[in-house]
Formats: sequence, structure tokens, C-alpha cells
Amino acid sequence: MDAAPMAPSNPLANWERLGDSFYRKVPIYDAVFDEDLELDNYILAGAPYGGALALHRDESKPMRFRDAHTARSSIDIYSCSGKPINQINWEHGAVRGLGWSDKEELLVITEDGTVRRYFGLHGDFTTFSLGNGAEEYGVRACRFWTSGFVALLSNNQLIAVSGYEEPRPKLLAPCPEGEVSSWSLIPPSYTLSRSVEVLLAVDKTVYMVDPTEAEDKVLQNGPFKHASVSPTGRFVALFTAEGKVWVVSSDFQSKYSEYDPESRVTPRSVEWCGDDAVIISWEDEIHLIGPNGVAARYYYDGTVHVVPEFDGVRLITNDTCEFLHKVSDVTQEIFRLGSTSPASVLLDCIDLLEKKSPKADENIQRIRASLPEAVDACVKAAGHEFDTYWQKRLLKAASFGKSVLDLYNSDEFVEMTEKLRVLTAVRDFQIGLPISYEEYMRLTPERLIDRLINRHEYLLAIRISEYLQVAADRIYVHWASQKVKVSTVDDEAVCKLIVKRLEGKPGISFELIAQAAYDEGRSHLATSLLNHEPRAGKQVPLLLTMEEDEIALDKAIESGDDDLVNFVLLHLKTKLPLSSFFRMINTRPMASALVETNARVDDTELLKDLYYQDDRPIDGSNVLLAEALDKTDLMRKTETVGLATRLLADSKDPTVVLQQKLLTEASQLLKIQDGLDKDLADRTEFLGLSLNETVYRLIRSGYGKRAHKLQGEFKMPDKTYWWLRLRALVAKRDWGELEELARAKKSPIGWEPFYNEILGAGNTKLASLFVPKCNNLPVADKVDMWVKCGMVVKAGEEAFRAKDVNTLELLRARASGPAASEVERMINQLRPRK
Amino acid sequence: MYFVPLEQDVLSLELDDSFSDLYLHKDPGSVFLAAKALMDIQRRHGYIPRIVGKGDNARRLADLLLRMRKELDAEESSGLTDHSVRGILPSASVESLIIIDRDVDFGSALLTQLTYEGLIDETVGIKHNQADVDTSIVGPTPVPQAQESSKAPQQTSKQGQKRKIQLDASDQLFSQLRDANFAIVGDILNKVARRLETEYETRHSAKTTSELREFVNKLPTYQLEHQSLRVHTNLAEEIMKNTRSDIFRKILEVQQNNAAGADPTYHHDAVEELIARDVPLKSVLRLLCLESCMSGGLRPRELENFKRQIVQAYGYQHLLTFHALEKMELLQSRASTATMLLPATGAQTGTRTNYNYLRKNLRLVVEEVSEKDPSDVAYVYSGFAPLSIRLVQCVLQKQYTLSLIRGGSASTTPSPASIASPGWLGFEDLVKNARGATFSIVQKGDDKAVRARQTLSGNNATKTVYVFFLGGITFTEIAALRFIAAQEAPRRRIVICTTSLINGDRMMDAAIEGKNFAKTD
Repeated sequence: MDAAPMAPSNPLANWERLGDSFYRKVPIYDAVFDEDLELDNYILAGAPYGGALALHRDESKPMRFRDAHTARSSIDIYSCSGKPINQINWEHGAVRGLGWSDKEELLVITEDGTVRRYFGLHGDFTTFSLGNGAEEYGVRACRFWTSGFVALLSNNQLIAVSGYEEPRPKLLAPCPEGEVSSWSLIPPSYTLSRSVEVLLAVDKTVYMVDPTEAEDKVLQNGPFKHASVSPTGRFVALFTAEGKVWVVSSDFQSKYSEYDPESRVTPRSVEWCGDDAVIISWEDEIHLIGPNGVAARYYYDGTVHVVPEFDGVRLITNDTCEFLHKVSDVTQEIFRLGSTSPASVLLDCIDLLEKKSPKADENIQRIRASLPEAVDACVKAAGHEFDTYWQKRLLKAASFGKSVLDLYNSDEFVEMTEKLRVLTAVRDFQIGLPISYEEYMRLTPERLIDRLINRHEYLLAIRISEYLQVAADRIYVHWASQKVKVSTVDDEAVCKLIVKRLEGKPGISFELIAQAAYDEGRSHLATSLLNHEPRAGKQVPLLLTMEEDEIALDKAIESGDDDLVNFVLLHLKTKLPLSSFFRMINTRPMASALVETNARVDDTELLKDLYYQDDRPIDGSNVLLAEALDKTDLMRKTETVGLATRLLADSKDPTVVLQQKLLTEASQLLKIQDGLDKDLADRTEFLGLSLNETVYRLIRSGYGKRAHKLQGEFKMPDKTYWWLRLRALVAKRDWGELEELARAKKSPIGWEPFYNEILGAGNTKLASLFVPKCNNLPVADKVDMWVKCGMVVKAGEEAFRAKDVNTLELLRARASGPAASEVERMINQLRPRK
Repeated sequence: MYFVPLEQDVLSLELDDSFSDLYLHKDPGSVFLAAKALMDIQRRHGYIPRIVGKGDNARRLADLLLRMRKELDAEESSGLTDHSVRGILPSASVESLIIIDRDVDFGSALLTQLTYEGLIDETVGIKHNQADVDTSIVGPTPVPQAQESSKAPQQTSKQGQKRKIQLDASDQLFSQLRDANFAIVGDILNKVARRLETEYETRHSAKTTSELREFVNKLPTYQLEHQSLRVHTNLAEEIMKNTRSDIFRKILEVQQNNAAGADPTYHHDAVEELIARDVPLKSVLRLLCLESCMSGGLRPRELENFKRQIVQAYGYQHLLTFHALEKMELLQSRASTATMLLPATGAQTGTRTNYNYLRKNLRLVVEEVSEKDPSDVAYVYSGFAPLSIRLVQCVLQKQYTLSLIRGGSASTTPSPASIASPGWLGFEDLVKNARGATFSIVQKGDDKAVRARQTLSGNNATKTVYVFFLGGITFTEIAALRFIAAQEAPRRRIVICTTSLINGDRMMDAAIEGKNFAKTD
């Protein structure tokens, strides 16, 4: 059973010469299936890259009845070493297609066109229907490629599904009538059209069918019992009516070889072994046909199933699982009898070295020139070897050769040891992934780990991911999700266990684990698991689907991401009745702030409801006020303002009372302005102005009386009114009226503003009128005021009255003509006479 | 979300709506964006070892940073392949992050900015380092030499045309002027003008060809400088025209008195006069808000009176404006804040900034500060130190701030004590009198790695301090922070971060209702 026998096996064992190249059949596992299992009666499908095997009893064959248990139909999934992984009870009708995708998803297609995709090897599945008349006519057979399949209906229609994430069954071009004797497909990645192409052997010829047309390849040697396309889609193997195997190019232009198996029985299958050889198999006999029709034959005791791989085939019998593949060039170069290649010499050196023979050094020196290539070859050959003994041997040789070299980049050597360790680990019969080096390179470590996860081999998966430094979070998450599904202890304990185990592991998505718990119906567990998810963006959507609305809202608010909060709010608004929605946001200031802000833009009705429910009359009336501003029609405006006023009617709160009063004023003013527009102007001049502006404009246009009336109606403060009057009159240049005002005894705003404004307007004469009225100003200011009006003498008099000689002297300097002498006179008067 | 670097030391998110979002709509979206941007910095430079802050939104920002760090830890898959995001450690080059919430100190922002750059912002407005100035003031956009001859006739400065003036450190002259108090801008301009002239005169003294070549080489820089001199002289004159006006003086007087803590009721007449004279609503509201902020609200009767006068003067739609201002807690009636008038009772500390207490205890008013050769940040408002900046000083310049409080001579020499006592240590009680949460958080990492790094980098390296103004910063505050940065220069580098640049006008704009009752067709 063990893949690494203690005694060194002959590296040339099971080599078979086929033309120029060698093929070898490597036994990997033995005692695969129970002796009682009649493989002959089963359909067997193997997942690519050494994946799992699916067995389903062939309904068309009679079967010995043992007991009720075996009579029940099922699909059994085994590893390649024969370890049962899962059993799917099958009660969905006749299976017409059994195949795998390269993600190790099992696809089962029933006669009625229903496709079940089992992922994760443990019975989880999704299903979809082929449609396109599949139900009506029934599916006859299916062919698979790594990411899709084609189903053949009994009316010769072909339906292609490319990709399982979002399957879209698509009808291929209609095909001719007739008996389909065999068929095959070329995967999209190997066709020119980049869509799948199907070879359909009908009657004597073969049709090439793609989505647009069915092309007759005009062959005469049909009906072909078998047709098979090589892994790269370049060649097609056909089994002719005369019982011969042809290898032709996939465009059917050239024929490469012909082989006569000399058998009357039609073989059970025709498959490709790599791209260079064809395998035809009967129940217990296999022919390996190389180029030019040379063949090797293998005989078995029992039924043998052929599972094609990219670089060879797996041969499954009850007793063994073997890998038949072409011997790689490097391996051939090293091990072929009589090989004198440097690498071969290098390998021999190890023997010599162990015997402590001086010839070891001698040999090394002999191949010195090509030593680097020899080392490379040994490293590569080690990869292709399945036997750990020879892996070690080859690496030892490489290591020895390396030590002789001065400069050698050991990266490849080191990587190879890493890869071989991984390969050895997964090839163990306990795991049962007989993956070849070539396949491992294609599969990538990440997907290899996925396969381990599918088999619930968590420990090995984690070890490998740590060893290869690949992200391990998926493994942990899968483990935890599985735990959630199967564990029977109470929620608290499960949560505690998971959290404890995953503590400190970076990148763990508790969201996925919680989702698994929720799917399992353990919503309480899901909620408590979600608490450990630090990313709110991940928590919230799941919480919403779990209808944990309040928690979702709280988590969104905690995250501070207003987009996320808005997302939740939008969801809740549509879902909940308005009153409960308001209740929910009421206690959460950020939520209500966002609702208000958004509603202000596009849903003022909601806002009104909210304020009404919250008993916030001022807010509510403000919404109406804002609406009033948007209305174009005066009637509507006043109407809305009226509504706003009414909302505030019953309150005793002084702020509300004031607000109400001012709103009433607002509509009153609007009415008056409308009247003014009609009376005084034929257009809208006053409407919409503020009270002050209205008054100002009235005075400026000479309607002082009306202005005065407005002042009274609106209880405008005197000071304001006087200022407005002053500014309006100055703007109107109504000097007469201003002079009139100057006669008044008192002004509520004093006289200084009059002086300033009028002076600013350039009327110095009128401005000077107000200087004497500014009684409470200091002398210096008044002097200045006079000077600004150009009245130096008056300024002098002011200074004189204050007996301020210094100022007078300053004035004298500025004065000229008669004014100067006047000032001089005053100075003299003040000067103490001696 | 990324910062836009406005200057070497200023990073802004340029979120124009952040102020209204935060304080009017109470939408903390910009806090989230700020956190994202800061996370970006932390990803590059490592976790900021200490986060100090004041204000509720600041607290929220700090919490978000901690939370995002956790999220990031979860995000990074265990893949060892991507080293860039893995294992972020506390940064060795960053000392701390100081977050100041704007609502801690609305008052300072409401004052008229008195630095050169601040005044440009107040008079013409600066947006993204550019000011749109009327061509009648600064002259038309200079055309490249080649096209000048052909296009010159059309370029005669038309009235009302705007010209964009770039205001940043690329303009040497402007970097000299920007943070100076406007009072001395004239002097600087004169000095520069004189220097340029003498330099230009050297062409006569140039005798040898090499001297001449040297002069010609300098010619482009000279022309550039000359151009900028002309622009700034004109601009300064324009501002001067404004600052000399009767109304500006009146406004300033009211502001200064409010800032100094004089009885605000004295100025109510002045404010009423301003209303009657129809000065822009913003200016009036700024004064009222300032009073409300500084002295804990207006008396209900007076507020009612002002409300009435303002809606009468500017339109009834401003009922909405008042509502917004109240919501932003910029303009309140004293009744609702009566409890806050008692200083340091500790009963309700943290809901409102107590300027009366802080003015005294943090010495916000520094009368004797010289505008020419300032010794304190108070120079930016000609004698009033913005509270926000004082708070930063409480963290960065403990010794100096303590000496200010005790009234001793102000020694600006940084002492090691300020490093030994991090965070708010020593000022906790004082800071409680400003609004909002106070916090100081240490972000820990793998101790061993931190120590290893410290030994590697040594302790003498310049450390960066990020000062984040949540909700906006004014140009004066930037000037003040630069003043501090200059004092701390060899040891610390201060990087100013903000959500946007604001001033009092922009604060008011957030609240002012734009529509009116006029028919909209």
C-alpha cells in the first residue's frame, strides 16, 4: 500500500518502448476497492488532477441482488486509493452524465435535463436545468471538460454549459438526423472560435458542431464507434467500422496513423494518454498505441477503468490504481540502459561515492563541463519520479554535483524538495491524491489545498499552507463553518470554541462562518459569531438578511461609515412601517440626522411625519417655510406660510410664540408688498424684499408716508427707521428733505451718522449743518469734522471755544487766504497778552 | 480618500461641506473620511504612537482609527507574500496626533482674521490656494512675452473681470507675508520694494561683462519678484481700504471686546446700527454668534429682539437661518445654557466651552504682544490667542503654557519635561472647561520591535506631530501653528491636517438660508 517501498525498485520496471519513446505504468495504490465491488457494472468518473472517483451503478447491466441496501441507487465517491469519501443517495432518476470539473465539483445530469452540481465532496449541491427541450426529448449522454460540459439530447440537439458559477445552457447549431454512434468535444480553450466544438459521428461521417453551424467532414469509414479528442485538441482518435483506430488531425485534413487491434469486439473506450498515445480498452485488456501504429498491450485479471489525465491515464481496477504515462526526456536520459548522459554519470557517482570509490571524483571531473546541466536534469527527474527512493537518490546526486560547482543557483533544487514533500504528503494512501508533478504545477498549491479542505484534511492543509507560506484563513474558516454545521453542543460553547481556536489568526472572516451558521438555522450562533467580525461592511449585510435590523443599524453606526448607515436606513425604510422606523431611529442620533438630511432633499413629507411624530413643531413649521420659499405663486406662498404658522398655534413656549408671530408678519408683509406692487409699480418691485428694504425703497421713491405707516405696523424700532430714512434720502439726493430733518431737535441715532453719510455723498455744505448738532463729541473730533467740510474757520472757532492753541496752530498751517488770518486772529486772542 | 497637500505643512481633505455636515446636519461622514485618510498615513508611516484630542467628534475620529486598525488586521490575509500591509508597527518618526474638534472653539474662528493671508481670505476669499481678485485691483493676467504684443490691446483691464492669484509657498514674497499680522505687511512690502530697487540699480554699476551676465541671469527672478510685489501691494491696498472703513472698525471693536470678555451688552447698540445700515448679514451674525459662544448665550429677551430686527432687515426666510444656527449651537439663548455660567463647577463640564474661565486660566488675552516681533501666538488676532491653539500648546509646549498661566516670564525654550509628561498631563482640569471629550490614547504594538527600531533610529531624530483640525481650520490658526512649529523646529515637525479651510463667513454660509420670498421664475 505504501507508495515508498523500502527496497529500491528497478527504475526501469514497467517501462515499455513505443517507437522512439518509453511509456511506464507506475503502480500507485493497491487493494483499491472491495473485492465484492463489481467494477464492471459501474460507471466510473474520475476528477482531473488525481481527484476523487465517482461510481454509479450502470443501470443497463444486470446486477446480482444482495440485499435491500445495495439495491438502493447511489453515487459513491472514493479517493483514488479507494477510501470512501461520501455516498450520495440517488433517487432522482436515470443518470445520463457523470463528470467532474477541475475544481472537483461532481456534476450529475439526469435524463430530464436537471443538472446537480455537488461541490465540496460532501453533498452540498446546487441545481439548474438545461432547458432548451431537454425535458421533452431527454438527455442521452454528456461529455465534460474542465469547466463545462455538453449534453446530447435524443433528438441530436446539443446543449453546452460553459462555467458553473452562473450556468447558461446554450443550444449549439442544429445537427443532422441520424444515429449518433459516438461523439466527443474540443474544449473552448483549444478551438479557434473560443467556444466549445463537438465532434458528432453520425452514420458514416463526422460533423463538427459549434454554436453557429454543423459542418460535415465528409468521411466514408463510419459509423465510428468511438471518437476521442487529444488533451490539447490537436488530434482525434476514431474507431472505424472496420475495427481500426485512426489518428487524424482535428480538422480532419490529415491522417497520422492507423492501428488494427485485431479484435472482433468493439473496445469499451478509446482515450488519449497524453498527446502522443491512444489507449483503447476492453474489459480486461488495454492497448497503448503510439505514433505510427506501434502498440503495447496490457492484460488484467478484472475490469479496468481508464481515467484520462492531462499527461497520462489512471488505470483503476479492483486491486490497483496505476498511472500510465510517457517517460519524460530527462528521466529517459538518466535511466535508459546504457545511457552515458552526464546526468546518468552523476547518478552513478552516488553509488561510487557510497562505495568510497575514487572513481566518483574521476567521473565527476569527466563530466565537469556539463555538470550544471546534469544537476538540473537530476533535479527535474526527481520531480517526475513517484518512488521516494529514487527521488532521494536523484536529489542526492544533484546535491553532490552542486557541491562540486563553484557557482550554482540552488533555488530550483530547494523548490523541488519543497514540492516533493508536498507531493509525498498528498500521495499518501490516507489522503489518496495521486497527483503527478506536472499536474501539481498546473493545479497550483492553492487549489491543492482546496482539495484537502474538501476532504476535511484540515491539519494537513494548514501544515502545507504554513510550509508553502500560503494564506491559511480559508482553511480555518472552512473548519469553523464545518464545526458549526456538525457540532451538537449549544451555541455558546460552539462560539467559544471557534473564537478560541481562531484567536490571533489574521484574515479570518467571521462573516462566512456566521453565514454558515445562519444557513444551518442557528441564527443566535450566527449573531454571536458576527460580533467577532471586525469589518462592519461584512457584518451588516448578513445581519440584514438575518432580519437583525437593530443590531445591523447599530453596527453600521459604530463603523462611522455614513454610506453603510444610509444603506441600512434605506433598507429599513422600505421594510418597516413608518412608525416603527421612526421609533428605531429615534434613539440613534446619527441615524436620525442622516434620515433628516436625506429627507430634506427628496422626501419632505417624510420629514413632516417625523417631526409630527416627534412633536417638534418648530422643525415641522420650518419645513413648510422652506417649501414656501420654493413656491412661485404668491397665493401658494402665503398659503404655505399660513400652514407653517398654524402648526405653532397651541404652544406656550416663548420661542414658538415668537416664531409664530414673525411668520404672521411675514405673510402680512407679503400681502402689503403685493398691494404696493399693484399701486405703485406695474411690476414686481417690492414683493419678496425684506421689511427694511421695502421701507428704504419707499422712501427713496418718495413714498415717505407709506414707509412711515409700515414702520408703525411692524413696530420697527425708531433707530432703524431713522437710519433707513437717512440712507434712502442720501441715495435719493433729497437734500431738501434732509435739511428739513436737520431742524428736528433730536435724532434717535444722533447726528453724527447724518454728517458722515452726507459727507460721503459729497455734499459738504449740508454735512456742515450737522456738525454743531453733535454736541457730545470731543472738540478734536468736531474740529476734524469742520475741516473735512472745508470750513477751517469754523474749525478754528471750535478750537477757540475750547481754548486749544495747539490745534489752532495746526489749522493755521492748513488754512490759506482770509481763513488763515482769521485763525491767526484767534490764536492771538488766546495767547496771553503780556 | 486622500489628503490634498496645500503646502509643505498643510494637508487638507478639501471637504467644503464638512463644517455644515458635522455641526448642522450632524452627519459624521467627514469624520469617517478623515479616518480613512489618516489610516492611509498610518499605513505608510506606521501607527501613530499617541493620539491626543479634544471634542466629541475628535473622540469619534480616534475611535474610528482604532477600529480601522483592527479591521486592517483582519483584512490582511495571512498570506506572507504581501508585506506592504502586514505588521504595521508604531511609527518611529511620528510622535503624536493631536485632534481638535472645531466645536471646541467656534469663538476663535468667528473673529476676523488679522494675518495677511487671513485678511485676503476674509475680503476676497481663498479657495484651493487661489484667490479670485478683480482685475481692477491687481491688473490683468500677465500674458506670456511672445503673445504680449498681439494681445495687449484687448487685455486692458475690464471691470468685473476676475484674475486667479496663486497663493502658496511658490511665491517667495507671499511666504514672507502670509503669516504676518496685517499691521506690518506695509513695512515688509516697503522693505522688499526698496531692496528690489537697489538690486535693479546694480545694472548701472555693472562694469565687466561677467557682472552684466550675472545681472541678466537674475533678471527673470527679479521680474517675477517684481510682479508679485505689484500684486501684493495692490492687494494690500485694497484690504487697507476695507480695514479703514467705518464699518470694519466697528465690527472689529465689537469682536475685540467680546474676545477680551467685556460686557457684551454695551455693543448691542453698535450691532443694531450695523443691522440698520444693511451690512452683510454674515458680519452681523458673526458678531452675535461670537457673543453667544464667548459668553454662553444671549439673554432671551435680547436674542428675541435681534431675531426680530434681523428678519425684518434681511427677510423672514432667515427664521430658518436662526434655526440652523441654534442647531449648530452657535447662537443660543442663555436660558438653555444657564448652568454653564458658573466656572469649573464640574457639574456639566464638557457640553460647552467656558471662555470666561479659559480666558483667564490659559491667558487667551495677551495685550502686550508685539505684532512686529511676536512672542506669543496671540499676535494673529492682535492680542487674542485662539483657544484651539492654546490647547495644542497644552500638549506640545507645557512649560511655556504653564509659565503663561503663572504669569511668569515667558520662556520659549523647550524643556524635556514636555516629553516626559505626554498627552494632557498637567492640564486635565483646565481642559475640562472646554467642550467635549478629552482623551489621550496610546497605540501599542509589538514592544520588542518598537524598541529595536528606537535603538536603530536613535532618539534625536525629528519627530512629526500631526495636528488635525476636524471641521476646518482658519488661516490665522495655521499661522499660529507655524509660529509654534518654528519654536519647536529642530525637535518636532508639525503637519497641519484639516477637513477644509474655513472662516467665520463660511461658517455663517452653512447656516444662512439662500432663498427668499421674491418670486422665482
